[in-house]
Amino acid sequence: MIAGLIRRDARRGLRAAGLPVAFFLVAATLFPFAVGPDARLLASAGGGMLWLAALLAALLPIERLVAPDADAGVLDQLAMRGIADETVAAAKVAAHWLGFGPPLMIAALPGAALLGLDGATLGRLEAGLAIGTPALAALGVTVAALTVGLRGAGALAGLVVLPLAVPLLIFGAGALMPGDGQALKLLAATALLLTAGAPFAAGAALRALRE
Amino acid sequence: MKAKNQRLVLTLAALGALVAAALLAMSALRNQASFFYSPADALRDHVRPGQAIRLGGMVEKGSLVREPDGVTIDFRVTDGAASVAARYTGIVPDLFREGSGVVAEGRFVAPGTFVADTILAKHDEKYMPPQIAGSMHETKSLKP
Amino acid sequence: MHAFANPTRFLSLARPLTGWLGWAGAVLALVGIIAGLTLTPRDYLQGETVRIMYIHVPAAWLGMAGWGGIAAASVAELVWRHPLAAIAARATAVPGAVFAAICLASGSIWGRPTWGTWWEWDGRLTSMLVLFFLYIAYIALADASADRGGGARVAAIFGLVGAINLPIIHFSVLWWRTLHQGQSIGFTGSTIAPSILWPLPLTTIGFTLLFTAIILMRMRMLLANAKLEARQRRMGGAA
Repeated sequence: MIAGLIRRDARRGLRAAGLPVAFFLVAATLFPFAVGPDARLLASAGGGMLWLAALLAALLPIERLVAPDADAGVLDQLAMRGIADETVAAAKVAAHWLGFGPPLMIAALPGAALLGLDGATLGRLEAGLAIGTPALAALGVTVAALTVGLRGAGALAGLVVLPLAVPLLIFGAGALMPGDGQALKLLAATALLLTAGAPFAAGAALRALRE
Repeated sequence: MKAKNQRLVLTLAALGALVAAALLAMSALRNQASFFYSPADALRDHVRPGQAIRLGGMVEKGSLVREPDGVTIDFRVTDGAASVAARYTGIVPDLFREGSGVVAEGRFVAPGTFVADTILAKHDEKYMPPQIAGSMHETKSLKP
Repeated sequence: MHAFANPTRFLSLARPLTGWLGWAGAVLALVGIIAGLTLTPRDYLQGETVRIMYIHVPAAWLGMAGWGGIAAASVAELVWRHPLAAIAARATAVPGAVFAAICLASGSIWGRPTWGTWWEWDGRLTSMLVLFFLYIAYIALADASADRGGGARVAAIFGLVGAINLPIIHFSVLWWRTLHQGQSIGFTGSTIAPSILWPLPLTTIGFTLLFTAIILMRMRMLLANAKLEARQRRMGGAA
């Protein structure tokens, strides 16, 4: 049943993945206009810009992660069948990542080409995204559960996610520099922390929602 | 599986992840996410000339030389283990002086030679009135 | 724990306490500031700018203590469902954010003459700024969810999640090399000369009392609002 939930949510996410991916690419192409077409500047700052675009793209799907299921009573059904809220939250994180992480990592390829990143930086960017996007998905589900049904949920979600995502951005961008992988380790530590904590925070929020 | 058991499994997985995160962070902490490189780090890591970095340490005693043009200074940044020659053109903060902490933003132009765009003064956590400071205070090293 | 759960009982205690704490705090803080501006010596290195400490340190402490209070109230809300916990947390958020902002502003003003910069992205400064943003997010989330079922628990979850930032702020100067200097005051003593140090406890305790008074005042306001809301609803239902 949990596998079914993940499959359904992931399929739904993939179908709607066009929106965040398109946003990610459009945002990435805006940076050259903002800072000028200096190829050296773009190549040195491009990785960080792609990280920022990924962060903003992660905000887009938040509103449709939990709210439809809460409205349709799916969450109540799951609770009645004895599935813990934490399990539902964990399933939602996994499904959200499946529908969001890989498409974003693929979209980073043309994004990197547009900004003229070299191959080694692209490799480090993809490694960072592979580690960081699960945490972005975890944050997304948690904040989605916190803001279900609130006035201006979308803007609120952005306000809540961004400060929590600062360490991901710092270490993700730090890992773009050639180095001994220290930043990547810290990124992994932060991502593990966020991903491990998310089912409990989101689960508690789902439980509060049913009251 | 009952809801309680599901929670238990998730808690165990989360605890495992926390331990892994702590291990990763401990193995990585120290160098990265540092605000600045110490001279020894910069020389050891072979920071590429031209790459923008911050270099931090103490201004070596007796190394501060003002060029004839009046605004360019040469000094050495040391962390006790290594020292790097640095050059800066512009106005320095009041607290910038020999034997005191400094963080220089700039780039290496050659191995061991640093050109700073910005000079920041770093002070330590000691505060005292001048009359005490004169007799006993001397910053020996900048705690990393 | 539930002895003060009754709002009436809380109010009978909070009403007189607000004035006492507020006045005592204001007097202490004022005495500390005047003493810090006139009676203490200059610092051997920084000169007069060291006096910013008497504002900056209490503001930093209260910015962090405020979130500590929110986290504690969040636990009380999530675990014991203490009826005053959510109100206490909401009442703490705004003054906490204000003191975090004072800490950032006074630190920036202090940094310019001593370090030579208004702002640098070092670990201490960045994590404190993140705390300020967390406050803003908390205020927005708590306000938006206040009138929804389970809303207080939603804010409490975020209050608990955000508490991860507190140890990061505290240990940032130990974990990473930062521009911000290390800790001056610890359990074992202080590296500030006593002649400079002595007004600092005055302003710290003073501002803390003032902070507590503001929280009590805001809690009373929130309780009064809730009462008014309930009465309005009853009257509306009767009409």
